[in-house]
Amino acid sequence: MRRAGLALVVALILAMPFVAGDYYVTLMLPFFAYSVILLGLNLLFGYTGLLSFGHALFIGVGAYAAAFLTSKFGVMHLEAILLAAAGAAVLIAAPIGGLCVRYVKIYFAMLTLAFGMLFHSFLLKFYFVTGGDEGMRVLQPFLLGFDLSQIPKVRFLTRPFYYYSVVVLAVATFVMWRIVSSPFGLCLRAIRDNPDKAQSLGVSVKRYRWYAFVISAAYAAVGGALLGPTTGQVDPNLAYWTHSGNIVFMMLLGGFANFFGPLVGALVFIFLQDTVMSIVPYWRLVFGAILALIVIAAPGGLMGLLDRRAVSWGEKSRQGGAPP
Amino acid sequence: MGAAGVMLSVDRLNVYIQASHILRDVSLAVGPREVVCLVGRNGAGKTTTLRSILGYLAPQSGTIRFLGRDIAGRRPFEIAQQGLGFAPEDSAIFADLTVAENVEISTWTRKTSRTAEERLALAYAVFPALTRYRARKGTQLSGGERKMLSIARALALDPTMLLLDEPFEGLSPAIIPEIGQSILEITTMGHAILIAESNIHHVPEYTTRLYVIERGEIVFSGPPAEVWKDEAVLRIIGGTPSWQSFR
Repeated sequence: MRRAGLALVVALILAMPFVAGDYYVTLMLPFFAYSVILLGLNLLFGYTGLLSFGHALFIGVGAYAAAFLTSKFGVMHLEAILLAAAGAAVLIAAPIGGLCVRYVKIYFAMLTLAFGMLFHSFLLKFYFVTGGDEGMRVLQPFLLGFDLSQIPKVRFLTRPFYYYSVVVLAVATFVMWRIVSSPFGLCLRAIRDNPDKAQSLGVSVKRYRWYAFVISAAYAAVGGALLGPTTGQVDPNLAYWTHSGNIVFMMLLGGFANFFGPLVGALVFIFLQDTVMSIVPYWRLVFGAILALIVIAAPGGLMGLLDRRAVSWGEKSRQGGAPP
Repeated sequence: MGAAGVMLSVDRLNVYIQASHILRDVSLAVGPREVVCLVGRNGAGKTTTLRSILGYLAPQSGTIRFLGRDIAGRRPFEIAQQGLGFAPEDSAIFADLTVAENVEISTWTRKTSRTAEERLALAYAVFPALTRYRARKGTQLSGGERKMLSIARALALDPTMLLLDEPFEGLSPAIIPEIGQSILEITTMGHAILIAESNIHHVPEYTTRLYVIERGEIVFSGPPAEVWKDEAVLRIIGGTPSWQSFR
């Protein structure tokens, strides 16, 4: 049943460029990018129990890596860009994560927020490097070595880049699935549940939290690098704390207790934002109300509502026992 | 018992929690294949002793040696990886993990000469009842099942020694012999066991040595039979000498 549902979703995604209008097809591109980001964020929150409010930092690292490489260094191969983005994120996340994972809950969230804001300020103030407020251009990358600049931009985005993003998301999903179903994933869930007890089973809590942090940062950067080519431009808002808030919202909207929940959240967020923005100018008001409704009425998110597990999750969170 | 025959030795341990002097010169030793019981009333310092051995509390002074190595001040996960298994009083089952997942974790965190399959088989062999609940979440278990799972999980670590904090606490009298029997089976596998127990009547008859702790001090140490002759100690732990005759 689950497999059939997944196959249907994959078929729909693959068929979309042929059946839907270009506008909606291009709306799917940020969905793929945010999906990659959210897979990582959920490893940290849903599986390890650490809520980062600074993950936009790593989205920014990935997006600016794409901008620097294409417009300053002439590196056009998207494969190289994605790898470089992940590598840069790992380098930056290693020391930041080392500091942050010493703390939990609100202290962890605030510390990640602080680092996010530091990076945002850096992007904004060092304008001679980063272009400041204006940001930087992201040139159209080569896909698998092919220079596709002859193709019109919209055609490039809705066909080759669309399928390229699908493949990146598929690989990212497969790798993340392997991670969460491995013994390492099991240890992360044990840590989320009871870090003290996990230690007495030989689990090095801080080290595993750190691994989760670094992996999730690499995911955020890969997603960030995928965001760049769609708009052709990156700016410091990508690293702003409200952007971190948005991805946390997507995760809650879809449901962090489910592997695919955050992806559903991203899809609904993007299409809902598009619809609401076209109807009323106060989309944030609408989204605020939705967020409040979810936390109160459906703590398991949209997937939680679908999933039978929603029942037990709801009970647990009302009793204050829901992880984390 | 000579030094060579000691698996765990705690020597003149002093532990403070904030300003309170909780453990005062606590010394105890556990040899290979021994079942040692640490008996004391609630608040006497049993759990503090175990938590200090396990690295959760840093002692002010004193030594803790396990397999000849000084482990005082080491972190809990390092101590666990050296082969000290622990089943806490509250069982601390990972609620969101299944029974099978709970048991599996430590086969990965500590590598020993036994394969993961062997270790899991041993853990389930000691508590066959758990086999039926493998797919259940930790929240769906009864108190007794949690105790069993907690001990089975510690066993899957393939420990050299097990620390059990109140393994009989809160259990129905019907299930106590079952768990007692399982603990006996564990010793036949070559593990040493240190049990903290508040109820002298729960001390298993196969216990080789007994320590009585009161207000953070060891007030008695010796074979279990001896304790029944010591009225002053019996008064502390609430045992009635006449009860012994019904055993």
